[in-house]
Amino acid sequence: MTKRALITGVAGQDGAYLSALLLDKGYEVFGCDLSTDARSCWRLSHLGIYDKVTLLPADMADAVSLLRAVEQSRPHEIYNLAAQSAPGASFQSPVEYGNITGLGFARLLEAILKTAKQARIYQASTIEIFGYGKIRRLAADMPFHPVNPYAVAKLYAHWLGQMYREDFGLFVCNGIMFNHESPLRSLNFVTRRISNAAARIALGLDSELRLGNLESRRDWGYAPEYVDAAWRMLQQAKPDDYIISTGRWHSVKEFVVKAFGAAGLDWSKYVKTDPGLLRPVDVPFAIGDLSKAKKVLGWQPCVKFDRLVEIMVKEDLVRWQRHLKGEIFPWDAVNET
Amino acid sequence: MLKKALITGISGQDGSYLAEFLLSRGYEVHGIVRRASTFHTGRLDHIKLGHDERRERLFLHYGDMTDSSNLNRVLEKVRPEEIYNLAAQSHVQISFEVPEYSAEVDALGVLRLLDAIRETKVKARFYQASTSELYGKVSQPHQDERSPFYPRSPYATAKLFGYWTVVNYREAYGLFACNGILFNHESPRRGENFITRKITLGIAQILAGKLDFITMGNLEARRDWGYAPEYVELMWKMLQAELPVDYVVGTGEQHSVQEFIEAAFAYAGLDWRKYVRTDPRYLRPAEVDRLCAESARANQELGWSPRVKFAGLVKVMLDADMRALGLKPIGEGDALLGKLFPHRWWGPD
Repeated sequence: MTKRALITGVAGQDGAYLSALLLDKGYEVFGCDLSTDARSCWRLSHLGIYDKVTLLPADMADAVSLLRAVEQSRPHEIYNLAAQSAPGASFQSPVEYGNITGLGFARLLEAILKTAKQARIYQASTIEIFGYGKIRRLAADMPFHPVNPYAVAKLYAHWLGQMYREDFGLFVCNGIMFNHESPLRSLNFVTRRISNAAARIALGLDSELRLGNLESRRDWGYAPEYVDAAWRMLQQAKPDDYIISTGRWHSVKEFVVKAFGAAGLDWSKYVKTDPGLLRPVDVPFAIGDLSKAKKVLGWQPCVKFDRLVEIMVKEDLVRWQRHLKGEIFPWDAVNET
Repeated sequence: MLKKALITGISGQDGSYLAEFLLSRGYEVHGIVRRASTFHTGRLDHIKLGHDERRERLFLHYGDMTDSSNLNRVLEKVRPEEIYNLAAQSHVQISFEVPEYSAEVDALGVLRLLDAIRETKVKARFYQASTSELYGKVSQPHQDERSPFYPRSPYATAKLFGYWTVVNYREAYGLFACNGILFNHESPRRGENFITRKITLGIAQILAGKLDFITMGNLEARRDWGYAPEYVELMWKMLQAELPVDYVVGTGEQHSVQEFIEAAFAYAGLDWRKYVRTDPRYLRPAEVDRLCAESARANQELGWSPRVKFAGLVKVMLDADMRALGLKPIGEGDALLGKLFPHRWWGPD
């Protein structure tokens, strides 16, 4: 029997990679997003699967549309990846973040409770729910402390996942993921901003890049590997929460140095810091405890930091070169810069 | 100039007591009430329809926690120095029936209000009505400000969202914002569908010959029940402190629903076994078994020392419900209040 999966936020980075992974495994894939037109779903086109995913228009703010999507797809597995997902920007529109990223999951769970109780559910939780503290090693049962509206909304969803699992018997897994990047990352994330800028500066299209806190540190993994971890969680006998990380931290500055290096540039000539881009509260760092993911899921990150930066810069260089030659292909940067 | 306070949820149990308390302290009090085809401001009638000058200082504005532009407008207009966010869908069991609405009001509502404060640049201190339900499935006998949270209902998860939003706005924007993590607090103004009030009102109705029995859910649940007027004073004290801090507030005594029933029926001179039935329909999908406050911080920093304890609370509530139904109260509750609060600021219940 063909397994069916429903992915919310299918047009995003993780949605696209996960669709590709599941199609590869023989799943029938249904995807929801706010807009399902080809331009909005450029990542699916980039991976060559735009016409292989059944797209359903549904909005996390609209309970009935979610109910319809669940009824229509009759999924065995549901991946809730839809979210307003930029922690920094969440200070600008906190209510929208709460509504989509937080309440959106409540609406989806209610729809599932009604029509797809047997489905297995993956909730894209995040390291941001832990915020700061003096924690050095981070395990899933550590105390939470969200430091931005995005994280507050994600923590709310995290608790919902746990509650519907324990009290309603739904198979819900919270995947507490650290940052994961790729050439499909949105341009409003710092990694992609850097890789895109390095490519543009290398080709003479720009002369500088402004960034907030260069000392800010993150644990950056490679997105295609992370969606594989999400899939593995739903194949276990019991639902549980897992931390997914690389266990290594690097500063934004290190990313900048590597990225500009990969484009053949000396970063110090082009990068300026701009205090206006600082988050009101930043996230200090902790090492994610990977032991459970390794032991239970057999999951381990392979693409390390240097390789990740290289993949991203190379891809952005190729894109801008193709663009300069007049080629037209699915891509985000031309529309946004 | 008079100090101005804004109370969301002013028509509720806590809101109405707080309004009276602030009026007694000389405040100009503004409250937000939802526009509905029926008035639900009965708890304020004795002020609004009274003859003393307090009514001149009480202002009601139509509004709703789901409407940002409205919250913005009210803030612009009132420009309060203190804001008490008491508005909520506050019934735990009902939150399982209306989870999304509960989250709209109890979670996003807090965020809308805080964001409206930021937007309008109103220089106000902020009180958030947090709740012992945040602790949910507890692992320790007592809960203080450092105890881990474990919400067990859509109400509690939504309130936890509100709690963290307050912490975040305090840390990110330096807002003077406090979470009052209040344990159950009751009074004759408690909603009739809350367990304590359901019991005392039920008994009064039985005594009046209007009811044969009451139907209850889980009798084993254990709670820390206090007397609401004492709690709203603490809300005010939190905002007068030097620094914004979160406080746990409760009596530190724990009793079961069963004990509440026994105490209340015994006070009325009835054998509870004849009048109490249980029905699994009244059980929550997920129960919170026990809650008990450790209020050392509030005790040390705010001088918290609750005077009405469990046994007295039961009598106060039953006396009031009997009076409301035209019966002569047994009177021990009324006497207790007279003794404990010679200068009480709240009107008769």
